[in-house]
Amino acid sequence: MTAASFAYGAEPALTGIDFAVRAGEAVALIGPNGSGKSTLLKGVLGLINRTSGTIEVLGEWPPPAGYIGYVPQTDQLDPHFPVSLEQVVMMGRYRSLGWWRMPAKADRRAVADALETVGLGARAKTRFGELSGGQQQRGLLARAVASAPRLLLLDEPFNGLDQANRDALIETVKRLKQQGVAVLVSTHDLDLARAVCESVLLLNGAQVAFGPRDSVLTLANVQQAFGSVGVEMDEHTIVVPGHGGH
Amino acid sequence: MDIITPLITAFDLPFMARALLVLVVLSLVAGLVGVLVNLRGLEFISDGLTHAVFPGVAIGFVWGGRDGLFVGAMVAALLAAVVLTVIVRRAVTSDAAIAIVFTAMFSVGIIVVSRETNYVGQLDALLFGRLLTVSPAEVNQTVVVCLLALIIVGFTLKEQVFRAFDLEGTAAAGYRPLVLDILLNVAIALVVVAASSAVGNLLLLAVLIVPGAVARLVTNRLWLLFPVAAGFAIVAAWIGLTLGYEASVNGGVDLPSGATVVLVLVAGYVVALIVRLALDRIGGPRRSRRRTDRLAEPVAR
Repeated sequence: MTAASFAYGAEPALTGIDFAVRAGEAVALIGPNGSGKSTLLKGVLGLINRTSGTIEVLGEWPPPAGYIGYVPQTDQLDPHFPVSLEQVVMMGRYRSLGWWRMPAKADRRAVADALETVGLGARAKTRFGELSGGQQQRGLLARAVASAPRLLLLDEPFNGLDQANRDALIETVKRLKQQGVAVLVSTHDLDLARAVCESVLLLNGAQVAFGPRDSVLTLANVQQAFGSVGVEMDEHTIVVPGHGGH
Repeated sequence: MDIITPLITAFDLPFMARALLVLVVLSLVAGLVGVLVNLRGLEFISDGLTHAVFPGVAIGFVWGGRDGLFVGAMVAALLAAVVLTVIVRRAVTSDAAIAIVFTAMFSVGIIVVSRETNYVGQLDALLFGRLLTVSPAEVNQTVVVCLLALIIVGFTLKEQVFRAFDLEGTAAAGYRPLVLDILLNVAIALVVVAASSAVGNLLLLAVLIVPGAVARLVTNRLWLLFPVAAGFAIVAAWIGLTLGYEASVNGGVDLPSGATVVLVLVAGYVVALIVRLALDRIGGPRRSRRRTDRLAEPVAR
């Protein structure tokens, strides 16, 4: 992505984005609420207008179909939607299945494997909306895994997760990276960035900094991104005054 | 009193058999499309579509009689489906946009029809249909148009469900949601067209929306929704037609058949709703306890 800007209608949402993520590596998108993390992910998906610059996903634009796995925030989904976890994960297979065709044995095996990967094999038949937030998140990750992506996008995957779910998520992401999957993850959480990401992209409506994780995550950079000199940072979290810990 | 015999003998009459055939075909499609309408929360848009098709129906009728009605409906429906999809995409407040555009179009339809001499009779026919005077040619038209809608939705069914559940996930998977949306809206429009001559514009809405809503009350299992909705619609159509016929012929009460079918549909919905609420009340505590067992790990919030 080179010098890219994005907008919702006439309102510019994010400008001056310039970064790359390589196969088997992960980039953390870090910034305050409304800084454009989700916007950037939607830009990569081609869901919002790009007003300038260029993007390539796997060397192409628009992105080649079927190679991106996307894990949205679970609160964007309708909890009353009548689908089982298994059916949600199967959606990850639809693109490779093609129109009209019904899932075959191989697809069902891929779904079962993906559910095992995230440790939810026993919950396959449970209605998606009845799962806990963390389980839903892992279910959506399983959907991405089942689609055998080459680029994985995660939107605030740690939101509302307890430690067990966080560990399970980190393990899965690490395994995917070993298989050569490139990962883009928006997060508030420095633990996640430190556990899986080589690089960090700091955002605040525009790109503040991009580079290797430890050289970007300096107090000065973070204060600039969060727009407050009161920001403090320790090993795990960024503490914004008045917002509590993130 | 024998209540089974009329359910069969009433349809010995060719016009009753035709009415039932039209409704059965419509029920099958409405079941399929209606469930998607329900899952997507498109009830208001469907309402808008039936309004938008009305001027097409009216202009076609004034221009070419009952054959023109069909052509007019088809043109208006396809146009409206595409315009509608784009409006919803672009507009910030889609509900207002839909309401404005389609009430305007409905008014155009009324003005066109009002220039006809037999204004009230025509309006009545266009809004509420003439289920019992459907001609064999109209049966054919309905079947063909319904088949078209069935193919469009059937061909993209799992993708439509995916899109209904998770728009961005669908886009990420490499689908073009705009294409899926246009296809679904065109299918809805085709159902509107197929139904406009038989059950009329207003009653159609019940056929499109109620079975899907009933299916949601009856089951939580995705692929059961579709047969449940279609089956319910067929049974309601059958009972409704028989009731209307019996009341008119043997009971001395003039029950318009289309409206009777709709009332049976709605009655079915009310029954399903009451049963659902009762089951939830009886089974509620037990079910939720079971649910907590299943969620052995803590729900982090």
